[in-house]
This record gives sequence, structure tokens and C-alpha cells, in this order.
Amino acid sequence: MKILAIDTSCDETAAAVTENTKVLSNIIWSQASLHAKFGGVMPSLARRMHEEHIDFVIKKALTSAKCIVPSVDTIAVTVGPGLAIALGIGINKTKQLAKEYNKPLIAVNHVEGHLLSPLANPKSEIRNPKFPALGLVVSGGNTILVKINKIGSYETLAQTQDDALGEALDKAARMLGLGYPGGAILEKFAKNGNPKTYPLPVPLIGDKVKNRFSYSGLKTAMYRLIEKEKPLTKQKIYNLAASFQDVAFEHLLQVIKFRISNFEFRISDLLVGGGVANNILLRSKLRKLLKPYGITLRVPYTKKLCSDNAAMIGTAAYLKNKNAKKLNAKSKNIDRSPNLKLDLDN
Amino acid sequence: MKVIKENKKAIKEAVKVLTGGGLAVFPTETVYGIGADATNPKAIKKLNQYKQRPFGKPYSIAVADQEMAEEYVNLNQTAKNLYKQFLPGPVTIISTGKHRVAPGVESETGTLGIRIPAYPLVIDIVKTLKKPITATSANASYQKRPYKISDILNSVSDKNKGLIDLVIDAGDLPRNEPSTVIDTTFDDLIVLRQGDIKLKSKNEILSRSEENTQNIAKELFQKYEEYLGKRPIIFALVGEMGSGKTQFTKGLGKVLGIKEEIVSPTFNLVLEYKKLIHIDTWRLQNPKELETLRFLKMLENKNMVIAIEWAEKVADLIKNCRDQAVIIWVKIVYGKKENERLVSWNII
Repeated sequence: MKILAIDTSCDETAAAVTENTKVLSNIIWSQASLHAKFGGVMPSLARRMHEEHIDFVIKKALTSAKCIVPSVDTIAVTVGPGLAIALGIGINKTKQLAKEYNKPLIAVNHVEGHLLSPLANPKSEIRNPKFPALGLVVSGGNTILVKINKIGSYETLAQTQDDALGEALDKAARMLGLGYPGGAILEKFAKNGNPKTYPLPVPLIGDKVKNRFSYSGLKTAMYRLIEKEKPLTKQKIYNLAASFQDVAFEHLLQVIKFRISNFEFRISDLLVGGGVANNILLRSKLRKLLKPYGITLRVPYTKKLCSDNAAMIGTAAYLKNKNAKKLNAKSKNIDRSPNLKLDLDN
Repeated sequence: MKVIKENKKAIKEAVKVLTGGGLAVFPTETVYGIGADATNPKAIKKLNQYKQRPFGKPYSIAVADQEMAEEYVNLNQTAKNLYKQFLPGPVTIISTGKHRVAPGVESETGTLGIRIPAYPLVIDIVKTLKKPITATSANASYQKRPYKISDILNSVSDKNKGLIDLVIDAGDLPRNEPSTVIDTTFDDLIVLRQGDIKLKSKNEILSRSEENTQNIAKELFQKYEEYLGKRPIIFALVGEMGSGKTQFTKGLGKVLGIKEEIVSPTFNLVLEYKKLIHIDTWRLQNPKELETLRFLKMLENKNMVIAIEWAEKVADLIKNCRDQAVIIWVKIVYGKKENERLVSWNII
């Protein structure tokens, strides 16, 4: 199934062509280079940027995949969650294309895209995960752990009560004077620091049943710690970055560990998607945690699949429809859904 | 294309090429860079051609020191701190530009990245040239990071090789990561307007926990609930990061009977619930952007409660809604003890 997929959920304009789970092209346009983001979000600018660049990005995705719209089987688009005015641009564009070329249009949940992004790959088929599997989405907007009964059927096991993990890392970087969003910078600087320098409190350590995440308390503790440590030196910044990152991940790991050791069924795969899935330290900590349980960590095969992108949307659209007799396409009724939840859309 | 070894003569050669609007490949403490006179539009055009840049991608520039940097960008306190701690070194610091470089060097929004490489050769070239040079990696966009000259030459077409006027070869460079890019422009925008939000001291409660903060929100809501239906209620929340603005909004959610978890709207900017709209202006670059989020439309629903975090950033806009909405300013400040917060409020 060849799919043209589009995602305009926040400040990246993204288009991709996928064939089943194989990524043929994955084009992302942002105001940033691949290494850095320039500036915060301006909704009107974001909208204008999406409008200005969407045609270019779609064209580029098609030419990179050596493909034209008439030869795709279906079109997929992100309907939420995200920034309402940004979502609208992608939806309107795909509606227009679907009508013009008489193609079915599939609505995809952005978080489900992140969740299934580890299953996208450069080859045509890979080993499917065994269900039930575990899924984790860690990004700037989401921190959610789910049980995947099968593709399309998810049970939330834990989600954040306040800040998302990516947001917490970004804000910690900001408190250290490293700009915003600075999660990736925090990771780089943490490499030069000692994570045991500062004993920050692991969030919700008292929870007997671990079914939630929280990062606001840790953020506050960090704020107080930085105030105490001022004036900051280069080495202090490195150590603070390392300590914060370590505790933020420790909390994530404790919840996952609790869940795994309390399952009455066997889990063989943990799928991890979202921007923070890029973090090398998090990956190695997860691998170490999963090893004794015989669980395989599955992360996206490239960095581009971690950030907001459209190849994950095409992949999710395919996986959700590959066994269906009829495509779950409702071209006319598709509308943006800024607050869309993962387990409520089925 | 002329290839020379890294030595004293190299500086003179490079300056000659750059003055003439040419492109020079040079070593840095990260990867090989390609330099053009950042103030010469012709040179930048040539560089664009070489890099095969997609549109809208700016270049960072290398300068000799902070003083030279300030000729091209405005440095805020965050930037100054970072310069002191990390420069010279493998860090690019983005500030708002002064538009003194050739078109296409600054970003579309007028920001500019500055590098002060910890590599004497580059500093000497810039000092002799007396102008900044572009500090972009010497590969074409999306190609391999160049740690040796052959990395570059193998990845560009013969036509593009012809665009390079000079190569300064320092052999194999250590495999260091590209520079870390830090954007400081964001900090310019948080303009605290203390004058607008001075609160009377009598409306003040000490919160000792997150639950306390939530309960204060509930009580405050109940105090002004009678207005609902006649006018929407805006809770304009002011307080440092981590002070509990989202906790306060959680309290509003509870009293309004919202079952969904109220989470931070920092990423989405707006989260809408049945009777509550939760806005975070922190990431907004311009207060006017709130209108784009259909803020005025939100006020048409007279039964709506609107909580706005970092409300001081949009103080003027909120004040202008005085006739349409009940506006309650709530300020939360850190107390002496770990969990203590001083919550004060006022209707303005």
C-alpha cells in the first residue's frame, strides 16, 4: 500500500511517501537546520510557514520517492493532537488532493504515529512485534506508556500529570540559560557532567502503584538548586544537566519497571517513539532495564523518525488498515482534533 | 582550487581569497568549515550555490571576540553569560541580528548564530579580514560531516568543486561533534511588567503544598463564580517556572468538574476542556499571537473559564478585555520553605 502522508501538527511541515512500512521519502521543513531550532513558536507565523511550504514539501516527498499522486493508493493526514491552526493546513491540503485525484483519505492520530514509528524501516518488512506489547511516547508534548493489545487498541498504563518529559528537559535547559527548546543541548552537556553530583528527588517515589508520571516537582527542585548554586560555572552547568537528566529518566524507568514486573502476560517488545527517543542515555538505560526480562527495545531507525515527521503517519495509516477489508477512510468528515487522545479514538 | 598546508602563509592566502568574494575551506575544532565574507552578497550567493541549500536555512558566522560579535547581534544577559562560559569553543549562540550581514545569512526571523572557534587560525583570518566569515560545515547540505579534505571532495560534484577557491589542509581532524547551537532570543521576550500587576497585599494566602494551591484556586473560583454566565472569567496567572501555575489550573479543573487530567499546555499552547480553556503564552514570540489563537472568540462564550499562564507577557491584551470578561490576576511566588508559595490575587 503506497501512502502519501502529511503532518502539520506543530511547527514542522512534513510530508512522506511510504510503501507498507518502508519509508520511501521523509521530508521535514522547519525554520531550523537539522541540528538546531531557531526561536519559539509564533502561531500566525507557523500557519503562514505551513501554507508557504506545504506544496514544496509534498513535491519534494513525491520526487524523492520517484512517485506521483495518481500512483499512491491513499493519502493520510494527522488530525490531532496539535496546534489547531497548524493542523488545519495539512487537513485542508489533503482533502483537496484526495478530491482532485479521487483518493481515500485516512485520519491519523499524531501520538499513534510516534507510538508506531519504530516499526517504520528502510526495508520492506521487518519482524512484527508480538502482542500485547508495550509502547512509550516521550516527546515535547507527550509522555505516555501504553499496553498495545494490537495495532489500534491501546490501554493507557501511565501518563504525565503535568509536564511532558521533553518539555521538562527543555525547561531545565532553559533554567540553565541554554535557550529553549534545549533538551538536545542538555543531553550534549550532560555527557561532560557527573550525574551523581546533585541528589535531585526522583518524582513520585512514594507511589506504591506506579501509574503516572510527573515532572513539575522535579522542575521546582531544579529551580531551587540552581538558585543555590549560582553563580554557575561551566562545570556546574554540566553537572546540573547530568543530574537532572539522570533523575528524569530514573522516574520513567521506575514506572516502566513496575509495570513490567506486574504483568501477568509475557511482553517481548517495548516500542519507543518521540523526540526524547533520540536520547542515547535513555536508550542505554532502557536496554539495561529490559534485558533481564528478555524484552527487546525498538526505537525508530533514524533520528528523523523521532521528531515530528510524516513517515510515521504513513506507517501508522498502513498498519491500521493492512488487514481491513475496507479502508477506514472518511474523506469528507475529517476535521482537526487538537486535543485528540490516544485510547479514545477507536 | 588551490590546496595549501596550514601555516602562517595560509592566513594571508585565505584573506586574499575572501576579500575577493571567494570561498575558502578551513579547519576548525569541530569539522572543516567553508568560509565566505558574511557581509558580501556575492560571496554568499556563491556559497548558497556550493551548499545547495534549501531555502530559509541561515548560516552562522565566525567572529574574533565578543566585541566583534556585538557589531552584528544584540546580546542579552543569557547570551552574555554563555559567551563568558563557553566561548571560544564549539558552541554557536543565536541572538537577534543587527542586519549588517548579507541577505540569507540571518534567519527569516532576523536571528543570527555566532561562533568564536577555539582554533587560532580561524580567529587570525577573521582578525586580518576585519569581517566575519560564514562558519558552516564544508560539505553540501545533508552530506557526510567533513573531517578530512577527501570527505569534502568525494561528496561534491566537479562543478561545485570549481566553486572552492582555496583549501587549507590540516590533515585528519579529531572526530569531534559539530558545534552545539543555543538559541537565546527567546529570553528577550519575557518582559515583566511589574507595574501592571502590582497586587494588594491583603488578598494573600500562604500555600504549603500542591493540594493547597489547588484548593486556593477552587475557593477563588467560588468567590467570583456568580459572574459566570454574564461574562467569562479570566485567571491571569503570573509566576516563575515551577511555581505552580498548572497546579492552580488543576484546582480550577476540579471545581469545574473536569475529569480529564489538566496538564501543562506549554507545548500545545492551548488545551481546551468543556468549561475551561488553558493557555500558556510562554512560547509565544509576540503578544499579538494570542489573537491568532482565537482568544477573542473564546471570550464570546460567557460560561467559559480561561486560565492564562505567563499572563504578564500578554498583559496589555488582557487588560483590553476588561469590558468583556472578569479578569482575576493571580501571582504565585516561591516562599521560604521548599513547598511554600505565596498566592496573591486581585481584580484589576
